[in-house]
Amino acid sequence: MTARVRAARSSRRPAETPFRLPPQPGEVIDRSRLVPFDWDGRRYVGFAGDTITSALAAAGVRTFSRSFKYSRPRGILTASALDPGCTVQVGDEPNVRASARRLAAGMSVVPQNVWPTLRYDLRSVNKVVAPFLTAGFYYKTFMSPRPLWPAYERVLSRFASGGWTSPDAIPSYYDQRFTHPDVLVAGGGPAGMAAAVEAARAGARVLLVEEEHELGGSLRWGGAQELEALGRLRADVAQAGIEVLVDSVVAGRYDDNWISIAQRGLPDVTERLIKARAGILVVAPGLIERPYVFAGNDLPGVMLSTAVRRLIDLYAVAPGSRAVVLSANAEGDAAAADLDRVGVEVVRVLDARRGEDVRRALGRGTLSAVEVADGSRIDCDLLVTATGWTAPTSLLNMAGNQPVWDPLAARFRPGEGLPDTVLATGGIVGDGSVDELVAHGTATGALAAARAGFGSAAVVAPLSPHPHPALFRATTHGFVDFPEDVSSKDVMAAAAEGYDSSELVKRYTTATMGPTQGKLETVNTVAVLAEATGRSIEELGTTVWRPPYAPISLGALAGRVSPPARYSPMQPWHETHSAVPLVAGEWIRPDSYGDPAAEVRAVRSAVGIIDVTPLGKLALHGPDVPNLLAAAYVNKWAKLDVGSVRYGVMCAEDGVILDDGVTGRLGAARYLMSTTSSGAATVWQHLESLLQTEHPDWRVHITPMTTAYASINIAGPRSRELLTRLTDVDLSADAFPYMRVRTGRIADVADCVLWRIGFTGELSYEIHVPASYGLHVWEALLERGRDLGVRPFGVEAQRILRLEKGHLIVAQDTDGLTKAYDAGLGDLVKLDKDDFVGKPELLWQHEDGAQQSLVGLVPVDPSIVPAEGCQIVDGATGILGRITSSRRSPTLDRSICLAYVLKQYAEPDTVVTVRLPDGRRIPATVTPPTHFDPEGARLRG
Amino acid sequence: MFRIPCPYCGPRDATEFRHQGESRNRPDPRTVTRGQWRAYLYEKDNVAGWTRENWYHGVGCRRFISVERNTVTNETRPAAAAAGAVDPVLPGAEAGAPDADSTRR
Amino acid sequence: MTARYSALSLLSRGLRGRNWPLVWRRHELAPTYDAVIIGAGVHGLAAAYYLAVNHGIRNVAVLDRSYLGGGGSGRNTAIIRSNYLTPEGVRFYDRSVKLYETLASELNFNVMFSQRGHLTLAHNDSSLRTMRWRAEVNKLQGVDSEVIGPDEIKSLVPYMDVSAQTRYPILGALYHPPGGIIRHDAVNWGYARGADARGVQIHEYTEVVGIDVEEGRVRGVQTSRGHISTPVVLNCTAGWSSLVSRLAGVRLPISTHPLQAAVTEPVKVFLNTVVVSGTLHVYVSQTDRGELVFGASTDPYPSYSTRGSLEFTEELAGHVLELMPSIAALRVLRQWAGLCDMTPDFSPIMGETPVEGFLVDVGWGTYGFKAGPVAGEAMAELVATGKTPDLISSFPLSRFADGRLVGEKGAAAVGH
Repeated sequence: MTARVRAARSSRRPAETPFRLPPQPGEVIDRSRLVPFDWDGRRYVGFAGDTITSALAAAGVRTFSRSFKYSRPRGILTASALDPGCTVQVGDEPNVRASARRLAAGMSVVPQNVWPTLRYDLRSVNKVVAPFLTAGFYYKTFMSPRPLWPAYERVLSRFASGGWTSPDAIPSYYDQRFTHPDVLVAGGGPAGMAAAVEAARAGARVLLVEEEHELGGSLRWGGAQELEALGRLRADVAQAGIEVLVDSVVAGRYDDNWISIAQRGLPDVTERLIKARAGILVVAPGLIERPYVFAGNDLPGVMLSTAVRRLIDLYAVAPGSRAVVLSANAEGDAAAADLDRVGVEVVRVLDARRGEDVRRALGRGTLSAVEVADGSRIDCDLLVTATGWTAPTSLLNMAGNQPVWDPLAARFRPGEGLPDTVLATGGIVGDGSVDELVAHGTATGALAAARAGFGSAAVVAPLSPHPHPALFRATTHGFVDFPEDVSSKDVMAAAAEGYDSSELVKRYTTATMGPTQGKLETVNTVAVLAEATGRSIEELGTTVWRPPYAPISLGALAGRVSPPARYSPMQPWHETHSAVPLVAGEWIRPDSYGDPAAEVRAVRSAVGIIDVTPLGKLALHGPDVPNLLAAAYVNKWAKLDVGSVRYGVMCAEDGVILDDGVTGRLGAARYLMSTTSSGAATVWQHLESLLQTEHPDWRVHITPMTTAYASINIAGPRSRELLTRLTDVDLSADAFPYMRVRTGRIADVADCVLWRIGFTGELSYEIHVPASYGLHVWEALLERGRDLGVRPFGVEAQRILRLEKGHLIVAQDTDGLTKAYDAGLGDLVKLDKDDFVGKPELLWQHEDGAQQSLVGLVPVDPSIVPAEGCQIVDGATGILGRITSSRRSPTLDRSICLAYVLKQYAEPDTVVTVRLPDGRRIPATVTPPTHFDPEGARLRG
Repeated sequence: MFRIPCPYCGPRDATEFRHQGESRNRPDPRTVTRGQWRAYLYEKDNVAGWTRENWYHGVGCRRFISVERNTVTNETRPAAAAAGAVDPVLPGAEAGAPDADSTRR
Repeated sequence: MTARYSALSLLSRGLRGRNWPLVWRRHELAPTYDAVIIGAGVHGLAAAYYLAVNHGIRNVAVLDRSYLGGGGSGRNTAIIRSNYLTPEGVRFYDRSVKLYETLASELNFNVMFSQRGHLTLAHNDSSLRTMRWRAEVNKLQGVDSEVIGPDEIKSLVPYMDVSAQTRYPILGALYHPPGGIIRHDAVNWGYARGADARGVQIHEYTEVVGIDVEEGRVRGVQTSRGHISTPVVLNCTAGWSSLVSRLAGVRLPISTHPLQAAVTEPVKVFLNTVVVSGTLHVYVSQTDRGELVFGASTDPYPSYSTRGSLEFTEELAGHVLELMPSIAALRVLRQWAGLCDMTPDFSPIMGETPVEGFLVDVGWGTYGFKAGPVAGEAMAELVATGKTPDLISSFPLSRFADGRLVGEKGAAAVGH
C-alpha cells in the first residue's frame, strides 16, 4: 500500500468499538482519555491503559499477523507479552508485543509478515504445498545444482519473520542503572507482593519487579474477593517502603546474583537496563497458561482462558460473541463465568476433567466452528482452552536448578538444589488459595530477609501443586510452536527420523526457538516427543533455558556510556590547529597538522615539537630499582649513574619482545621509566608482578605518571637553541650530553624532567612537565621558537623520521612471536646476567641462531612505496619475508622500508622481490636498518 | 558476573581483576632444560573444579592475590580457606612487599 | 540403506505421509572397534566419515557423552573462512572451504553454505597493516582476499556507520568473498548420516571414563556403557580435550575458555555479509531466518561454565551499535556459550602423542568449526596410513617443547 493510500484511509473517521463492554470492576483503562492511533493504515481510538490488541479487539479486529512459513492468519492467544501472533511494527521499532504495549497517541502500528496485505496474503499458497514443507525440508532439497543455492537462499530469506529496521533510524534514548537491594523479588503477584512486604518489614531494602503494568498478577482479573485482596496487598506494598518497578522484567540471573532487569515505560527513555547485585533473589513469576494442541488451534478466535479473562476484566473487551469453553481447571471455569456475566453466549462448556475434548477448530481466516470429540459441530467465534500450566523456571535454571516433571500436576517445577541466595514462591512452586499463596510468600519473604541479615527466618510451609489432568494434544495434530509454524506432526516426523531428544528436536524443527523461547511451546513439544518415542516427559526433560528471560534491546544493553577516549592537555591547541586525529588505542592524538612531509623537513632542518604525552611513564622509587630493572630488561642497569638515561628492551618469559623504552636515574633511588603508549598498563602490571610475586623482598614503589606529566619532544638541529630560551638547565653539549637526564624549570614551570634522547635521529630533548602546565609550555615553545622556524609535528612525521633512522616500533616491527634476536636487538641482550625475564629462551635463541632478521629495504625504483604487509616472495607462492614499515622519505627523496627476511637473505645489497598488492613484483635491495645518518652524528651533536 | 574475595578489598566484581593463571613455580633458569621450561610456559592443569589461581586486582588495590575458584560453577573462596593454611596475604607492613607465599606456591 | 533426499522424494513422501528412515541408527556397543573417536561433533564425525569413505575403515565407533553435535559444533556462530595469516593456516583452511563448497552434494544433505562474503574491519592503522599482511599472504596461496576502503564497505553494508566521527572510525576492511556462514547442525547431521550409511557406529550418551594404556600404547577405552578394545583412540573433543587426554596420561598446553554468542529476534534481512571487528571484539551475521547472530572474544579467564554473562551482552551491544547505530531497537533473544580450548599460539594440535595409538585433533580455540572437514580428512589419513599429512605437519603437539610455535599468534598480537 502506498503512503498516499494509507494517509487517505487514516483520515477517515475512526473505527467503531462494538466489542467494548460496560465498565468492569477491575478494568485498567481510563475511559476519560481517548488515544487515537493507526493500525494498518486505518485510524482507531482506544482508551489510556489499553494495549494495542485490546483497543483493536474492542473494534473487532481479530487477525494481527500472518505466520512466517504457511502465512496463516493469527490472532490473540494469550493477551500477554507472550502473545505469539500479535507482534507488530510500531514506527521504526520492529517486533513490538502488541498485547503488552500500551497505546500511545499517534502510534503508527503496522502488521508484520504480510505481503501484500494482512487480508490477502499471496504466500498463503504455501498451504497447498504444506506436505512438502515439513520440518527440516530445506535440509533435503535445494542442493543441486549447486550454483543455484544463492538464488534459493534469496527466496527462503524473503520468508524471514519479524519487522523491519531502517539504516536511517535515529536511535532513541537508552539508559542503565545499578542497584544493590538486599532482596529482589521477581514477580508482583500475590506471593511476590507478600514476600516483598515481609522482607521490607524485617528491615531489608527490597526491589519488587513486575513484568506487567500493575502489581497483582492473576488477582487483577479475579472476582470481588481477589480484587479486595489485591487492594490490601497493594496498600501493604505502598506502606512498606519497597521500590516497585512495573512494566519491567527480571531478564537474567547470573553468577553471584548479578541480575539484569529491563525497565520499560519510562518517560523519554525507551528502555533501561538495571543491573542489580541482589543479596537474595526471590523468584515469583507465577504460571504461564499452556496452549492446547489440536487442528486449527492457531485460528484467530482460539484463546487461552487467561486471555479471555484479561480482555474482559482488565480491558472491558468481549473476546467474541459465541463461545465454546474447554476447561480442565478453575481458571477455565472462571473464564466461562466471566463470558456469561458480560453477555457473551457460552454455547458449550466441555469439561476436560470428565474426558470431554475438542477435535478441531474450523474456519476460513477466523474461527467459525468447533468439532467436538463426540463428533458434533458447534458454530462459534470463540474457543477458550484451559488445559494446563507451565512454570517459568527460567531464572531458577540460570541459577543452576534443573526443573523436574511433576506428573500429577502435569507441569515442571523447581528441582532440588538452589543456591542459598535464591528462593522461589507462588505458582511456580505450587497451587493454593490466595491466602495460601500469600502465606507462602510471606514466609519466603521472611526467610529471604533473614538470609540477607534481617530478622529471623520463619519456617516456610510447603506449597504443593494441585493435581491436574495431563492434557497436551487432542486426537488431531496442531501447532506446538506458533511463531515457528511447527506442528505436532513435525515433531513426530523429526522423532521418527532420529531427532529424538529434546535438544535435537528443537534444533531440527526450530520449535521453541522463536520470540517466546519456549515459554508456551517447550512442554507441548516435549510431550509430543514423549508420545512419539514412547519415553516419558520426565525422562526427556526440557532444553536448558538461556538468558534473557525476556528480550532486551541492544540499546539498553549498550547503555549510554560511550567508549572512553584519552587526550593530552594540549588537545585544545591541536583542535584549533587543524590536527588530523589518529586513534591510537585509548588515545586520540594528532596524526599530522596537514603536511607530514613538511613537518619532517622542519625537524631535519630546524626544529619541531611533538606531543608525546601518551608515552607510558612510571616513577620508580627505592633502593632495589636497579634489581628490578635488571630483571625486567634484557640489558644491564647496575651502573646507571644519577643523571643518565638508558634504552632498554623487555621480553616475556617466552623471549618475545614485550615493550621498549628508556629509563633515567633522577636521584639515588629515584628513576623515571618510559614505555610505549600502548604498553603502559601492561608494563606496570608486569613490574608489579615481579615485585609482588617473585621478589617481595625488593624495596621498590611504582607510581604511574603517564597523565601526571605532559610530554613534548623537541627535535631538530635548533632544538637546543629553542629550549635554552625557556629553561634554567644548562643545555650545552658538555653539560648535558646525549643519553642524560636533568630536572629543572621550563617556561617558569618547576619540577620538569628533561631527557636528551632521539627517536627521530636528531638532536632532541624530551621534556615532561606537570600536566596542568602542558598547554602553557607547548604554546611557549611555539611562541619563542617562531624565528627558528619551529613547527609542530604529528605521529605520521615521527614515524617517517624514526623509519629514516631505522628505529623499530614494538608491535609494528615486531609481532606476537618476535624474539630479541629476530629484531636485531641481540647486542642489548646480556646473557651473562644471572637471570632476567625470558633469559632461558633468549639463551637458546642465541645458541640456535635466529631464523629471520629485521633489515632495511629500498625498492630499486625509488618512487614505489610498497604497502606495509607486502610479502617478499620466492617464485609463485614462496615467502621469504615481509615489509613491516614503509614510507616515502622526504629527507632521502625515495621510498624506504623495514622488513623481515630469512637470515640467508639478510646481507646488505641482496636483491629480493616484493609483491605489491596489485600483483606486480618489484626488485628491492637489502640495507642496514638505518637509512639516514648511520653514524648518529646529528643525534649526539 | 561472579565476585572474587580480595584479601585487601573484600568481595569485588570479577571484571575488576585480571586472570593471571594457575599458581606454579618458575624453574631455576640456570639448570632448566628446554622441555622443563616450555612445560612451565605452556602446559596447563586446566582443572575442572576447584583450583588455586592468581588474579591481579587491576581496578582496585593492584595486588596480586591467590583465590580458589571452581571452574565449573565460578564459585570463589579465599585461597587459604580450603587448605587451612595461613592467611593468603599477610598485611603488608610495607607497600610492595606482601607475603612471599601469597601468589606462588 | 539411506533414502536419498531430493525435492521429488520430499514431495512424494509428503503426499503419501511416509516418514523418513533414521538419519543415523542406534546400536549396542560392540566389544571391539578398529578405531574409537571421542566426540560426536563435526571433527569426530568428519574423521569417521572420511575413514569410511576415503580409506574403507568402517568398524569405527564415535562416542559422545551427550547428544550429537551438542558441544562446540552446535554452539558456534557458523562462520566459514580461510583468510588466515600464515601460509600453513591459509592452505589448511582453504582446503576446508573447498570441502564445504561441495559438502551438500557429497553428503546429499543441504548444509546451506552461504558464501556471502566476509569483512574484517580495521579501525586503526595497525589493524589495517595486519589486514594487508593477511591479504597478501592469502593471495599468494590463491585465496581471494583484498583490502577495501570505507566506501566499498558502505556499499556492502548500508547500515554501517563509516563516518570519521565515530570513536573507532572504520579505515578499511579485509574483504574475503568466499567466506560466509553455514548451518552448523546440518553439517553435523550430514556427516553423521553419511558415516552411518557406511557402517560407522555413532553412540550418543556414551561417556569415556578411562583410556587403557599398556606399555605406552592404547589398548581400549572404558565408557559409561562398557569396555571397548581398540588400537586407536582419536580425541576429537573440544572444551574437555585436556581432561580426556589426561585419561591417557597426555598433558596438553590448553586452557579452556567460554566463548559466548547471542541472537536477536528476527527482522527482515538487511545484512548480507559477515562483519567482524577485531578491535571491537564482535562479529555479526544475519541468518536466512532474519536473526542477527553475534559473537565476541573468549571470556578473559578459563572456565567450564556455559551459563554466560551479562557483561558479554552489554559489551557486545555497545560494539554492535558503534558499527550500526540504527538497530538499537533490536532485541537480544537468547545468549549461550560454548567451550574453547585455547593453545599458546592460537593454532590447533593435530597428530600423534607420546602414547602410541592415542591421537589428538584438539586445541581449536575459536575456529574449530571452520576446520571440521579438513581436520576430519587429515586425521582419517593419519589413522589409516600412519603418516602425518603435509597439510597438518605444522601443528604437532611436539612443537611446544621444541619452541616452534605457529605464527597465527602474530596476527592476534598485532591485530588488537
